[in-house]
Amino acid sequence: MTVTTAERASGRSRTKWQDMLIVDADVHVHDTPRALIPYCDMPWRVSLENIKDAHENYLDIPAFSPGHTQYQPSWPTGHERGRTVTTPEQMRAELDPIHIDIAVLFPDNLLKLPVLAHPEYAAALARAYNAWLAEEWCRPGMGLLGCVCACPQEPEDAANEIRKYADHPGMVGVFLPCAGVDPMWGNKRYEPIYAAAEEAGFPVLLHSVTVVHPVFPHNSHGFATDIARHTTSHTFAIMANLVDMVTMGVQVRHPALKIAAVEAGISWVPFLMMRLDKEYLEKRREVPWLTERPSRYMKRFFYATQPIEEPERLRDVATMVSLFDGEDQVVFASDWPHHDFDHPSKLNQVPFPDEVKRKIFAENALRLFGIDEQARRVRR
Amino acid sequence: MMRTVEEHVVGTVGEFPEGTHRVVRVGGREIGVFNIGGRFYGLPNLCPHQTGPLCESKRCHGTTVARPETGWRTEWGMEGEVISCPWHGLEYHVPTGRCLAFPEIKLRTYMVEVRDGQVVVRL
Repeated sequence: MTVTTAERASGRSRTKWQDMLIVDADVHVHDTPRALIPYCDMPWRVSLENIKDAHENYLDIPAFSPGHTQYQPSWPTGHERGRTVTTPEQMRAELDPIHIDIAVLFPDNLLKLPVLAHPEYAAALARAYNAWLAEEWCRPGMGLLGCVCACPQEPEDAANEIRKYADHPGMVGVFLPCAGVDPMWGNKRYEPIYAAAEEAGFPVLLHSVTVVHPVFPHNSHGFATDIARHTTSHTFAIMANLVDMVTMGVQVRHPALKIAAVEAGISWVPFLMMRLDKEYLEKRREVPWLTERPSRYMKRFFYATQPIEEPERLRDVATMVSLFDGEDQVVFASDWPHHDFDHPSKLNQVPFPDEVKRKIFAENALRLFGIDEQARRVRR
Repeated sequence: MMRTVEEHVVGTVGEFPEGTHRVVRVGGREIGVFNIGGRFYGLPNLCPHQTGPLCESKRCHGTTVARPETGWRTEWGMEGEVISCPWHGLEYHVPTGRCLAFPEIKLRTYMVEVRDGQVVVRL
């Protein structure tokens, strides 16, 4: 469809956003100890059996998902902070009213996988989650697609998992958990993961969550409030890991690998690009594998919108995207069903021309995940 | 129209020992004249980053490089061929004028010849 100059200038839509294809790069399934039991290897299944009836707070299950609810007061509220989705049918029923056609699934509790101290246990949970996801959740026909969870504690095992699901019709990416990950994702110990993802044609997606953990930048114990912890935990973790990946040359060693940052918004991207370039002019010798300024590598990342910034002048969001030439790299994400999810109508209010909305709502994600409009994988 | 080539004698070969450089003034310009392995090169004494006195840097040196053939491991290369700006450290490859951090930046290079024991800069 041709977009007129007047429409482009005003950002006025001729097509209703509800009629556009919407691909959601981040929705969450509820991965409980009980759900994973049938998929977990021994002896780790015994541990899941032992905690299957444990009291569960939001993203806070002892021996499974070390949480931070014990740090803060608890006020009564009508805000449904503990929403969960436990079946594909429930997910489809909840995504339909918000017009999401295709959704890419991430875990709830295993967002915190890296902070588990026992590497074999963590790897077993990742394997169980992947098997559960592939078996019970990945339904291309329902528009539900999965990401293989890569356990950072056991990179070789994670690479095997990626190879195991490389041809699975419902797996379209690799989830790199960032909450408390140490070392960060630029470290060469993760090379097997990147090599396997590149070989499989899977993008890798950084996703963080709030934790209080003695690892940069999650050592956020100095904050009194969740507004502070939540502000920093997601965004700073993504920024730190992204800086590590760019400077350590992950993209240089894996030029075909697509990388995405999920659940950190977008407003920090221009800042980080400029900051890295400024440092680079003085410190290039530390990173001789880079052949261009770091911002050029950052422009090749994909960035998921949620939590989309809501400045007083909403057009500033469009300006920020333009600052990193992002109209081909930004992908919509809702984060459904989490407490801070974004309804697509909010993104629709940003004065992007229709052709850019189509890219952000769907076309960029189809390219990122290598799928068609029916959620079928289209390339290896 | 033919461009007029100016030639300026800036000293004797003996004043530019191998592995050294110094800044000369010719035609209202400051030019760094380098003797690298017996070959002479000229660069403007002006870093385009923030106008730093590039060629007043004390010495040329090598720098780190990385190649796919060696698994992108850090190696030492361009020994004696790199000058870094004394202000912010931006590196340039003297023989080509290429900025190492930003390949799209390339300094003007001046032809420097040795003739009858004299070092001649052509503008």
